[in-house]
Amino acid sequence: MNDNQFGELITGTGSTESLELLKAALDSSVSGIIITDNRLPDNPIVYCNASFERISGYSRPEIIGHNCRFLQARDRKQPERQMLKEAIVEGKTVNVEIRNYTKDGTLFWNELYVSPIKNAEGQVTHFVGVQHDVTRRKNAEHTLRNERELIEQTVKQRTLSLEQTREYLESIIQTVRESLLVLDAEFRVMTANQHFLKTFKVDRSETIGQNLFNLGNGQWDIDRLKELLNDILPTNNPVLDFEVEHDFPHIGRKLMLLNAYRIELEGEFKDRILLSIEDITERRAIEVRKDDFLSVASHELKTPLTTVKGYVQVINHMLSEQSGDKLKEIVGKTSTQIDRLNKLIAELLDVSKIQSGNLEIHRDVFDFDKMVKEVIENIQSVSPNHTIKLSGATNVTYSGDESQLTQVISNLLSNAIKYSPDHQEISVYLSVISGYLKFSVSDQGLGINQNDQAKIFERFYRVSNIQKKYPGMGIGLYVCEQIIKQHKGDLWVDSEENKGSTFSFTLPLLNDESK
Amino acid sequence: MDKKKILICDDDAGIVDMAQLILEMNDFEAIGETNSLKLYDRIKTEHPDLIIIDLWMPVLSGDQILKRLKSDEHFKSIPVMAISASNDGYQIAMQAGANRFISKPFEMDEFVKAAHEMVAH
Repeated sequence: MNDNQFGELITGTGSTESLELLKAALDSSVSGIIITDNRLPDNPIVYCNASFERISGYSRPEIIGHNCRFLQARDRKQPERQMLKEAIVEGKTVNVEIRNYTKDGTLFWNELYVSPIKNAEGQVTHFVGVQHDVTRRKNAEHTLRNERELIEQTVKQRTLSLEQTREYLESIIQTVRESLLVLDAEFRVMTANQHFLKTFKVDRSETIGQNLFNLGNGQWDIDRLKELLNDILPTNNPVLDFEVEHDFPHIGRKLMLLNAYRIELEGEFKDRILLSIEDITERRAIEVRKDDFLSVASHELKTPLTTVKGYVQVINHMLSEQSGDKLKEIVGKTSTQIDRLNKLIAELLDVSKIQSGNLEIHRDVFDFDKMVKEVIENIQSVSPNHTIKLSGATNVTYSGDESQLTQVISNLLSNAIKYSPDHQEISVYLSVISGYLKFSVSDQGLGINQNDQAKIFERFYRVSNIQKKYPGMGIGLYVCEQIIKQHKGDLWVDSEENKGSTFSFTLPLLNDESK
Repeated sequence: MDKKKILICDDDAGIVDMAQLILEMNDFEAIGETNSLKLYDRIKTEHPDLIIIDLWMPVLSGDQILKRLKSDEHFKSIPVMAISASNDGYQIAMQAGANRFISKPFEMDEFVKAAHEMVAH
């Protein structure tokens, strides 16, 4: 379409048929089309097609002769209006998306193309405006932008909350009074907490990013640690209470208890290794000092006791040639109490050693049945009111700590007698059951109720109703159980109140050591 | 027959006194020494038939003396009974070469019986 044809269209010249065709063509367009006359004041609309009527809601008589600005209603401050104005003044093409309003005031987004039409002299005579209602697209864009903003907002919040969580966890790690390291799969230090830096007197900058074994001139290049990380952790995750002793160049010998955990969860942290290091140097030293102190104390207590016991035996010896039953009885009781004191001193040391894990068993082969018989004889000789009956036999040469097991049996027999004052018979039964030797001692005494049965093996526990009548510290059974445990055996009780108790223990017969 | 002579060495005078009394009551000649540093000289001058020695003594311990005695051609034949209130006394005594170990506090009968047996050899 050239300028002339447009001229004809506007002025109504040209063939009626072609005009009608053109009109029909423009009316069938989905785009709203207007033509303004730039030569008339205020650039009025001189043509609009049917789609423009449909988009704007105005009818042709309400449109023709008006300037286009009525479409923006009162929404006058849009920057696009300035762009339109400038393009029209300069006679240029412009393309804007502008908020327009239909006759009933409904907002619609108008994607507007405006292009000038020039005459032969190059003057702009008309402008053609082509309009599309892009409200739906605009709304979709708007929704999309809103959603993006919402997502950005959420991401920001999540990041903040993650940051806070991270800082929170980090502060826990830094505050905890135990050394913690995080290593990557190549054993490079990713994190070292404050306690680690303090304990091992190192700087954060010389630690982070370094391979563990290269840290501080290789002071962590410890064989046992390599064994833990290279050999044990890959197949035994996590590793707990792994003891490592090492002499560090500056801080001296350290005894450390390590927990190691390799992250197996798929993702960012996979194969990272958490290493928690507890410095037990001091604790172990205190335990040893405590045991040493108790050893010295018990030795020192036993020395005067030895003298007293000696003299009491001398007195007893002298007495035997004279009469005086009362005196004999008193000396006898003195002897009993001296033996009790001696036993208490020994038990005290045992408990201390068990607690610090220093109770050692010295295994040696011995005739188990013979040992039991000897203990029975000893106990029988000082318990004239009871009869200890032995039945069964193990016929085993057992490999274990004879003096400790003697202590256990002696303790169990003494208890049986002590807690069955009115029943004379104590029976001991020996047997071998599928690889275990079994020792049982039964009395028909006071018995132990269900509640107390669970607790009698605890340290310092005494069954309440017998506490006053029967003296003791409540450590005998605790020591017994620990000794049996050390021998990989089991000690238990079957009992019914007022009917009696049976204490039994089993010990595994190791093939190569016991036979 | 002459009484057998037993030399008892313990840093605790109470134990030495008591042991001497018991041994004398049982027809031994008992002499005591509380300073372990002087024990070696006492052995040289007294020529005891049996030495009873405490393990845990200050400055020079019983097991040190024992080891020296048992590596000395002149004295290694003298029987030595070690006595101790220490829990690991038996192991220490045996390692040092004692002929017998009795833990403190001891039973008088056991103690006397052991003394008789040891001098008889």
